[in-house]
Amino acid sequence: MSSSPTPSAASGIERSILIFSIWAVLGFFGLGLFLEGMKYDAWALSATGVGVITLAFIAHIIVNGVFDTGFSQGEAVLGIGAYGVLGLVFVVSAATGTMTMADYYSCLTLFGVLATGFLAYLSTRHGMRGAFSRFHVRPLGKREESL
Amino acid sequence: MIWLPLYGLFYAAVTLYWARLSARSNGDYKTYFSAAHGIPPWISALVISGASLSGWAVLGGTEEIGRHGFGLAAVLQAGIALALPGVLFFKRLWLVAQRLRVSSLVELLRAYWGSEFLTGFAAVVAVLFAVAFAGLQLLTLSRLVVQLGGGAISQEIAAVLLGLVLFGYVVIGGMRAAGYIGALQAVFAAAAILVLAGFSLIDAGGFVALNSGLAKLAADPASASRFLVTGVVQFTAGIGKEAAAGHEGTALASLSFAMALMGLQASPVIIKVVLSTSSPRGLAAGQTWVMAGAFGALAAFCVAVIGAHALIDPARDLSGLLASLSPWFSAWLFIGLVAGVQLMGAIALLSAGETLVRHLYKPFFHSSLSRRDTVTLTRVVIGVLLLASVLMQVLTPVALTLLASLALPLSFQLWVPLLGMTWLRWITRPAAVTGVGFGIAGVLLTEPFGISVLSFFGLDLPWGRNPWTIHSAAWGMAANVAVTLLVSAFTQRRGFGEQASEARNFLFVQLTGSPRVRALRSTAWSVTLVWLFLALGPGLVFGNYTFVTVDGRWALGMPSLWGWSLVMWAAGLGLVWFLAYKMEMASPLSTHIPPYHPRLRPRTGQAEAEQQRRRAFIITIAIGFSLAVVTALSFGHH
Repeated sequence: MSSSPTPSAASGIERSILIFSIWAVLGFFGLGLFLEGMKYDAWALSATGVGVITLAFIAHIIVNGVFDTGFSQGEAVLGIGAYGVLGLVFVVSAATGTMTMADYYSCLTLFGVLATGFLAYLSTRHGMRGAFSRFHVRPLGKREESL
Repeated sequence: MIWLPLYGLFYAAVTLYWARLSARSNGDYKTYFSAAHGIPPWISALVISGASLSGWAVLGGTEEIGRHGFGLAAVLQAGIALALPGVLFFKRLWLVAQRLRVSSLVELLRAYWGSEFLTGFAAVVAVLFAVAFAGLQLLTLSRLVVQLGGGAISQEIAAVLLGLVLFGYVVIGGMRAAGYIGALQAVFAAAAILVLAGFSLIDAGGFVALNSGLAKLAADPASASRFLVTGVVQFTAGIGKEAAAGHEGTALASLSFAMALMGLQASPVIIKVVLSTSSPRGLAAGQTWVMAGAFGALAAFCVAVIGAHALIDPARDLSGLLASLSPWFSAWLFIGLVAGVQLMGAIALLSAGETLVRHLYKPFFHSSLSRRDTVTLTRVVIGVLLLASVLMQVLTPVALTLLASLALPLSFQLWVPLLGMTWLRWITRPAAVTGVGFGIAGVLLTEPFGISVLSFFGLDLPWGRNPWTIHSAAWGMAANVAVTLLVSAFTQRRGFGEQASEARNFLFVQLTGSPRVRALRSTAWSVTLVWLFLALGPGLVFGNYTFVTVDGRWALGMPSLWGWSLVMWAAGLGLVWFLAYKMEMASPLSTHIPPYHPRLRPRTGQAEAEQQRRRAFIITIAIGFSLAVVTALSFGHH
């Protein structure tokens, strides 16, 4: 334990505060708008919510850029996990037929925009090949060969 | 109603996450009190602004406008009124504290003035903020929980839950947690105010519709006075004795209320954050752009919109508005309000706990207390303070209100010793101490608490609250300044203590203004006085009709007084910028400040002296209590 954070730790803390702030404000506001759109069957409102969530992502990436870092492991797990859970809810709802067309299009907009944005982020940050490599886990033997 | 508990749990989890992170950085207890003076300037700026404005502004400010209209125009100038003392004091206090290596206002007062009366008074102010001022806001929030939860959660349970969340992160993470979480809370609270104003406008049918509703009220003679300042002053006996014509919102009511607000920036609570900041680099930007700019705009526009909507339709006050929203929005916005209030509560509790244990109990009664034990005891005291606050919220809300209303005006009395420390070198020690004593008397004699206590003892004062429509902060300051001037004039030959002399020399050497600043001094005085006159002082009466056309319509499409306040807010922002940067009152300073080591004095017979003090303390308490009981039985109301 240290009595005060090192400069890099302090910078990490400042980044985390900004990230928490962004999602507490834009993330939850966007979620609220999205749900409001579902409630009133207003696709435009839901799409605005998706836009605000996208803004939160953009702000997150800008903060990452300022602090010269990427998404942390926890953030990636949380993001992909939330995406998966929401996707599951969408599929189950669509399968059980409890969604209106506006709900359906709202969800498609959300998942479409998030998926496109995610791929765009990966390709701009790592390049097309690098983005593929983020997911392509090479067998252990191959990895040792390349060392 | 799943959203409120869900968001509440999420909020609690976030606070505990940051508390744990802070505790690790603190080394559990080593830097618990001041975060090793390492709070980044931008975080400090957010915390100070958020704590100063977000909680009471949205709870109290909207209620004031919703009930009484725009007459108390100081509510809309809160951002500027709060930024001005920050510009005036923070930089100099930070420099002196850095030089003397002290970390709180109480230590500063002790080092500079050498007065235990002042340190004790500052401790009382800190406790009032922690228990009553923050407690009153938490009480309002727990009442909101009952409404939003549809009665599923009782007010008592809500008060306990809100207290537990606050207790958890303050006790675990100390100042570092209060700072880190405070920055989040400030942003969140500001966003909540902004979105609430947006929903208010949507609910009212837009800005034009809102102002049409206000115009209808203004056309009705019964409610027309809600859009006016009712004169410069009204010589009434005060609330509870004699009602003012129209309403209590005179120009001097606004000015004196602004003075009370300015007390917040001189409180041990806010100064604690300032002195825990790593550098004074962010002070100018924090006071100018965050406090006066962003939060000032929230007060001048958003708080006014929410209040105006409630003025038109009282059912759409803050609680009505929240209840009308979808549950995910009302829960999110409510947590934003909780964040704003707990931000204030956290630093107030820390400041009070530290003051009571580290600055009073330890030096007087138990100097051998180790650092670890000091922190542990502080944690216990914070728990006790919070428990007292929650109990008062539940059992004695009226007493809590009376005590809460003392916090700001009493804190404002600290302006005189702070001015003596930073700017007015001619204020002597006896003058500062006596002045504050008279200031306290002035406040107590014009506040319901003091009036009730005297009435209990059989002395009924011929005036009520805010006599002449002037807030107790100004009455106290009038007495304070008058006595300070008199006593200073007679005690100029008295010297200062060693540390005070060092601080005076240090500031004199470090802050000799450039020729440009000296040349601008008269301009600075002029524009400041003009702004105070027009925005908060007697000039407010011009705002009644400045933006009214000859045929009686509002030229800006909004109440003239509101338009006037917005113009004055913009002018005030310029004033704060000018003072902070151009007059270099809060501008960055990048000189290394070596610590000053006072001469060591031998300390003998400490244990025996402490034992004697403990005995004297207990006897004093016993005698005081007995005297109070005897007096009440003899002269009090039965």
